[in-house]
Amino acid sequence: MSDTTAISVSHLDVSFGQAHVVRDLSFTVSQGESYGIVGESGSGKSTVLRVLAGLNRDWSGAISIQGKEQPKQRDKAFHRAVQMVFQDPYGSLHPKKTVDDALAEPLAIHGIPDAQARIARALADVGLPASFRYRYPHQLSGGQRQRVAIARALVLEPQILLLDEPTSALDVSIQAEVLNLLQALRQERNLTYILVSHDLAVVAHMCGRLMVMQHGEGVEEMSAATLSARTPKTDYARQLLVASQGFRR
Amino acid sequence: MTENSVTSPLLEVDNLRVNFHTSTGIVRAVRGLSFTLGQERLGIVGESGSGKSMTGRAILDLIPHPGEVQADRLVYRGQDLLTMERSKRRKLRGRHISMVMQDPKFSLNPVVTVGNQIAEAYRVHHKASRHEARERSLTMLEAVQIREPARVFDLYPHEVSGGMGQRVMIAMMLIAEPDILIADEPTSALDVTVQLQVLKILDDLVSSRGMGLIFISHDLNLVRSFCDRVIVMYGGKAMETLPAAELADASAMGRRHPYTLGLLDCLPGLDHPKERLSTLVRDPAWLQ
Repeated sequence: MSDTTAISVSHLDVSFGQAHVVRDLSFTVSQGESYGIVGESGSGKSTVLRVLAGLNRDWSGAISIQGKEQPKQRDKAFHRAVQMVFQDPYGSLHPKKTVDDALAEPLAIHGIPDAQARIARALADVGLPASFRYRYPHQLSGGQRQRVAIARALVLEPQILLLDEPTSALDVSIQAEVLNLLQALRQERNLTYILVSHDLAVVAHMCGRLMVMQHGEGVEEMSAATLSARTPKTDYARQLLVASQGFRR
Repeated sequence: MTENSVTSPLLEVDNLRVNFHTSTGIVRAVRGLSFTLGQERLGIVGESGSGKSMTGRAILDLIPHPGEVQADRLVYRGQDLLTMERSKRRKLRGRHISMVMQDPKFSLNPVVTVGNQIAEAYRVHHKASRHEARERSLTMLEAVQIREPARVFDLYPHEVSGGMGQRVMIAMMLIAEPDILIADEPTSALDVTVQLQVLKILDDLVSSRGMGLIFISHDLNLVRSFCDRVIVMYGGKAMETLPAAELADASAMGRRHPYTLGLLDCLPGLDHPKERLSTLVRDPAWLQ
């Protein structure tokens, strides 16, 4: 398993001052797998992604990505291999930069040649017409913006995508389009995903295995089949399942 | 249960239209919507841009310039809202008809403590001393499941979480004890467990006080489990109005509008996993 492990996190602890937001969390994700993290707000799920992406340097424990132990300060090669898509497509694109600028910047940082063709291809990959290339974010709908955010992550041809609630700001119809796109991309390129979401149905649809988090701790790791069969072992996971089924009088 | 408790409807809306006159032409946000609201939970579902929020705002006369509201009939408990004086309508707003907005971050005053904002809402509509308003606010905070009301009372909006902010908003809207509450995506910023607590509060108000609730949401699962009746909106028009229970009833699917079916179909389901989610096909003929 060790040579196909894409991400391994062991005994991760994160504190913000007094608040201990992630406690002794360990999990591994294989190459080409899609792994889900679910939990309520404040459970530490987004913090885990931010630590993995190198956006938060205040942590202890061990993180290794594709067999390589990661220091607090990540190198360029890491950022080329691991990209993140954020929750809010309205906040994650610079309002004064065109789609073209947003996609050209990571290429320039990494000194990758042939930017023009790559940008065109990335837009085509996420199903956006070429005419969108010189638009500003305010000229796009939420779903289109999220596609641009995914294109921006894909333009570097990463092996790992960290997805932080990629569809929770979108309509159900647009959510279906974005989820289908992410599924297709993963199959095509053998990408590894970590998907953070509070929507159990989305996680069950997208992921093979998942971790339930509460108060910064990993409560239970289970397969999507266990989730669909509604047979988790812990009480908290069962509670989440019941709550996700809607309102009961 | 709702049918026999309704004597006359709380709100009657007939052929409601909301138009925005812009430099590029008239944008028709709501195109002829009709419904009545009794003491019930009425859901309005649809995608963004379907006009569901504009419907809520039009009832409260909160459509900003250059928007314009027209209707053949807009009646609250026998009082015609269309011909009513602005000052009278203003008194109605907040006291008898109120609205919980979608985003607590933008709806709360950032420089006033949340407790004082709730107390203010009470004192605007009721003659009450500062002390009494504070007591009422603390009770209200407790009613919306805030654990330490006395501590939260003195916090500023930036110091509370999204879920707490939304509950503060709901407390503020409910403290005047309105007859009609329009809730615009009141729980979409909340966690599932908190979401259920908030819905429980709203549900109790409908069944115990006979409030009428208009529940605007894009979450079909939630609407079908929570509401009594559902209006499905697309492009400013009602595609269909149906009992919420029929949204979950597989045998009733043959009678459903294709848009409703499309919305149901694109949800990922825990029970029936599928390889690919179907995407919505929209038919321009629906808007004719």
